[in-house]
Amino acid sequence: MPRANLVKAFRKLLPSESVLFEPEDLRPYECDGLSAYRQMPMIAVLPSNEAEIIEILKICTAEKIPVVARGAGTGLSGGALPHADGVLLSLAKLNEILEIDPDACTARVQPGVRNLAISEASEAYGLYYAPDPSSQIACTIGGNVAENSGGVHCLKYGLTVHNILKLRVLTIEGDSLEIGSEALDSSGFDLLALMTGSEGMLGIITEITVKLLPKPETAQLVMAAFDDVEKAGAAVANIIQAGIVPAGLEMMDRMTIAAVEDFIHAGYDPDAAAIVLCESDGSNEEVADEIEKIRDIMHMSGAVRIDTARNEAERRRFWAGRKAAFPAAGRVSPDYYCMDGTIPRKHLAEVLRRIEDLSSEFGLRCMNVFHAGDGNLHPLILYDANRSGELEKAEAFGARILEICIEAGGSLTGEHGVGIEKLNQMCLQFGEAERDIFHAVKAAFDPDALLNPGKAIPSLRRCAEFGAMHVHRGEEKFPDLPRF
Amino acid sequence: MQTRLNERFQNTPQGREAETILRNCVHCGFCLATCPTYRLSGNELDSPRGRIYLIKQLLEGREVTRKTQLHLDRCLTCRACESTCPSGVEYAHLLDIGRNQVEQTITRAPIDRMLRFALRKVLPNRNLFAFVLKSARLCRPLLPERLQRMVPAQPKIRQNPPQANHPRRMLVLQGCLQPALNPDINHAAERVLDKLGITLLEAQKASCCGALAYHLDAQPEGLDAMRRLIDAWWPYIANPDKPIEAIVVTASGCGVMVKDYGRLLKHDSAYAEKAARVSELAKDIGEIVAAERPELTRLLENCPASEAEAIAFHAPCTLQHGQRLDGVVENILKTAGFRLTRVADAHLCCGSAGAYSIVQPHIARQLRDNKIAALTRDDPTFLVTANIGCQIHLQNGTQLPVRHWIEILDRVLCGETGDRNP
Amino acid sequence: MEAIVEQLTECVVKANKNKQALCIRGGGSKDFYGNARALRYPKLEIRPYQGIVDYEPSELVVSARAGTPLNELESLLSEHGQMLAFEPPDFNGAATLGGCIAAGLSGPRRGYAGAARDFVLGVKLLDGRGRILNFGGRVMKNVAGYDVSRLMTGAMGTLGVILEASLKVLPKPESERTLCFELPVEEALETMRRCAGQTLPVSATCHIDRRLYIRLSGIESAVDAAHVKLGGDEFGDNLSFWESIKNQTHPFFRGNKRLWRLSVKSTAPPFSITCEQAIEWGGALRWFAAAEDCTATAVRAQAEKAGGHAMLFRGKDPNISAFHPLPPALLKIHRRLKRQFDPAGIFNPQRLFPEF
Repeated sequence: MPRANLVKAFRKLLPSESVLFEPEDLRPYECDGLSAYRQMPMIAVLPSNEAEIIEILKICTAEKIPVVARGAGTGLSGGALPHADGVLLSLAKLNEILEIDPDACTARVQPGVRNLAISEASEAYGLYYAPDPSSQIACTIGGNVAENSGGVHCLKYGLTVHNILKLRVLTIEGDSLEIGSEALDSSGFDLLALMTGSEGMLGIITEITVKLLPKPETAQLVMAAFDDVEKAGAAVANIIQAGIVPAGLEMMDRMTIAAVEDFIHAGYDPDAAAIVLCESDGSNEEVADEIEKIRDIMHMSGAVRIDTARNEAERRRFWAGRKAAFPAAGRVSPDYYCMDGTIPRKHLAEVLRRIEDLSSEFGLRCMNVFHAGDGNLHPLILYDANRSGELEKAEAFGARILEICIEAGGSLTGEHGVGIEKLNQMCLQFGEAERDIFHAVKAAFDPDALLNPGKAIPSLRRCAEFGAMHVHRGEEKFPDLPRF
Repeated sequence: MQTRLNERFQNTPQGREAETILRNCVHCGFCLATCPTYRLSGNELDSPRGRIYLIKQLLEGREVTRKTQLHLDRCLTCRACESTCPSGVEYAHLLDIGRNQVEQTITRAPIDRMLRFALRKVLPNRNLFAFVLKSARLCRPLLPERLQRMVPAQPKIRQNPPQANHPRRMLVLQGCLQPALNPDINHAAERVLDKLGITLLEAQKASCCGALAYHLDAQPEGLDAMRRLIDAWWPYIANPDKPIEAIVVTASGCGVMVKDYGRLLKHDSAYAEKAARVSELAKDIGEIVAAERPELTRLLENCPASEAEAIAFHAPCTLQHGQRLDGVVENILKTAGFRLTRVADAHLCCGSAGAYSIVQPHIARQLRDNKIAALTRDDPTFLVTANIGCQIHLQNGTQLPVRHWIEILDRVLCGETGDRNP
Repeated sequence: MEAIVEQLTECVVKANKNKQALCIRGGGSKDFYGNARALRYPKLEIRPYQGIVDYEPSELVVSARAGTPLNELESLLSEHGQMLAFEPPDFNGAATLGGCIAAGLSGPRRGYAGAARDFVLGVKLLDGRGRILNFGGRVMKNVAGYDVSRLMTGAMGTLGVILEASLKVLPKPESERTLCFELPVEEALETMRRCAGQTLPVSATCHIDRRLYIRLSGIESAVDAAHVKLGGDEFGDNLSFWESIKNQTHPFFRGNKRLWRLSVKSTAPPFSITCEQAIEWGGALRWFAAAEDCTATAVRAQAEKAGGHAMLFRGKDPNISAFHPLPPALLKIHRRLKRQFDPAGIFNPQRLFPEF
């Protein structure tokens, strides 16, 4: 169907302001939080209820038109990058909190509800929604499910997959699925886990039931400075080994500390090679006990300075520094490229050393922020997109970092998703047979491959080409690494 | 974000400023969360990030139409996005540049042009506006109910100007709409500051601060109003014998504008220095009172203790985002013994936004109703704000009285009739 | 060990070619579980493929081969002060890691710490074509590709043979204490609900024989404080009571009656059914020890009404599907997934659903 007819068909369903098709209107939709990748969709539609989505999908299925779902567009892997010949399906208007059940500790919400809005609405009952990605103020819960988002507290409280109970999903074929239940498990395969993190490739989520937790009585934070990254890494391992599961365990390297301290004045030690932030939450007794243990361990691990936040304001200030790490990069440099690899913690020092080598090799600065508790590394490569060639250099640098993470036995993405950005590295992390299974899973839900095509799972051809290029470059070859 | 500005803009001061602002934006989307219009429409084009993109494509030389203008018009300039932005993007400045460009490129529909022209001519003209308002009040009983509600009622005026002549002197911005709509605000400010040992002066010939025209697509006209105001004030500022300490502004919407004079007129060699001085002196009434906290506390001790009344405070955007004075007024009110109710989404605009409630009535009404609902959830006895525009706009949507906070502080310090002498 | 994998692969490749159904089996501790038909087929014995592959306590991760006895794995973790936090049952003591993941069953701690699927980080899998596949990994966070590892959890071996699994482990609590209250079912449910809404270190709840048992786990001072808050008597035989619930050696679970497992919304009111009932997981898990005249339709209708599903846990009946039947749209997806992973349908046919 030509675009004009499609526009006409959508306009019958939706108000005219909710059907965008002119370049002027579409350009602001050409990218998500990763603006290095841009593509205008053929049409963008903004339905405001499930019935409208069903009708839109019917048209797209009948006409074999690709559909890309979008929430707030805060994703960092280009997962919501539009398809040139496709429809961009914005779910932002479905932003209602349908029900909060304080007895069952659950909330039923629409996909366009912001992550933080759930906690705000539950606050009156002393409850909150635990996963807290840095973008929680803006990112939508639908996007969180699509990416299986984490946050600084996920070592203790889990990722999105651990905190949702039930989804309503529309398949591209027009079926409405209830996946999961209000109970703790359900009959059959764990499709809830399969949907979580599927990057909009399996279905359109129209309703989500999340678990809520009682707000911890209190929280306390220890900040420890180290003169050596290796010691900081060891401190993290020692805390875990001592049987402590901290609410948050974060680490920053020298460059990050400097950048952050410059504009947040969080009170970090500017001479430190690394800073570890360790938070304990729970009942007053638990926290008091745990904080004492944490301080002892930091001391034994060779911390040069150990501060316990003296009050809530100081605790917030210590955290503010960490949370501002990304924007701080934005102030130090016009553009930054954020990576998201995970590694077994024991390889941290080695991986950081190799990143430093690459930094001089590529001539680009790199800041490192680390969710130390769960081994999730966020190197921020600083570059200037207006200088020709720098973006390409940053991308090549980033690709090498991911390869190092995979070599270390980790993964190329811990929480941002593969999207469009890490397709090539997927060829390194997974062999042909695994990728074949991924395509098979997709086919079980979406036989015509209309939902977010070209994302998350590389085509076999793409990997063949990438493999050839990779070997051709004469760099280290990556044999099919066993993942165990 | 990558930018490729069109040659036309590359070497203009505006173009350079725009580029710097654009380069700061990393497209993270945090601003969507706190944007009132995005929260209503869910459309990226009605969000700060979307508007930045619209302005970017305009400055990159792509064709734009009335649609871009529409989405820029819909911005309330509440600047909640700036409070949220982790990268320090100066959105409002970029928006001014974008709006100005669009205005030069796109011709508005005649009816739209007329409305905007009329607003620019009537509202900032104190006498003309007073006349219009008076006529409207006279005709009020004859109007249909919907229109009736749009005409603000005559407030009780408690003229009781202080007589003392303190050595501490400050200038006060009289304003354009405020004297007609609610003269009591400045009277109250005079009485409260008098108690604190400060005399307020009004400059002759001082009129509108220029905000109305500046934000109604007539930036040159707005700049002229600013120059006129600076001229009216300058003799007081430059008087070495009787210096003034500050320029007090009782409407946060005007305050944010006056504080920005220095930046807006920096390329005008005749006014740059004066404008910077004016901006330096400009203070919201909240800042002035907060600075006198010890004296205020002492005065309050002598006032009959009133029962802790529950009031809901609406912080105008121009106060909390524009001037970044979040919490200042709230603390004064708490000191004065009021109980402030919890207000959800306190960062959101009420929809008043200068002339916005007139040019975008539909969105303004939705925002107002949401705001009233949020403000009244914990059953306050009345609502309090810090800007005349918000006060009138909110009052249109509720039976509860809406007041300027300085009025209620005045009542505590000076009694119902304004003549209490502790 | 390589030889065993080769053997298993060969076996699967041959079965795939000949469309010969196989029954994947570890320790046989859960032979009673699921639909019985699958047990008739030739066994694919996994038990010989055992051993810990990697265990680094400071990484909170353990990887082991599927045939590793569960109790062996747990005692290794225990030596390092760690545990499988989902408290998997091992019934007759012969349970293996592979069976534990394939069945996806979790014990008393599930209501508070999470289920088997929540702790699975990665699996090595033998699919229906005899291919060895690796999904997930040994890191806590990993969103590359679909979450096939969790999909395997509870799939009853119908999608492939789990060869290895990596699990997140947690430190053992410093101290544990069980409180016991004499309470009727309504009040017990209310107490469980109240516990869930507060930050108490509750790690298990069970209402059985008109008594409510609440287990507290954590540091001593927190357990003390919670004890004061909740009141109640300390129940002496802490360990063996919860063992008897987890492994179903408690008298409630014995006998020849059918045992129904109802997984429901935790706030569902008590069920009006004339049979013995037990409640776990803060109200989210209800056990019915029911006579045969209590029909499957009636039980399932009650479970659905309470927002969940019912499973015939023990006491097989060829006329009753052990697992709660799926609505058609979900069944369609299940069948397609099955076909993709196991095109010839050789793995545990009908063990999960009669349809495949």
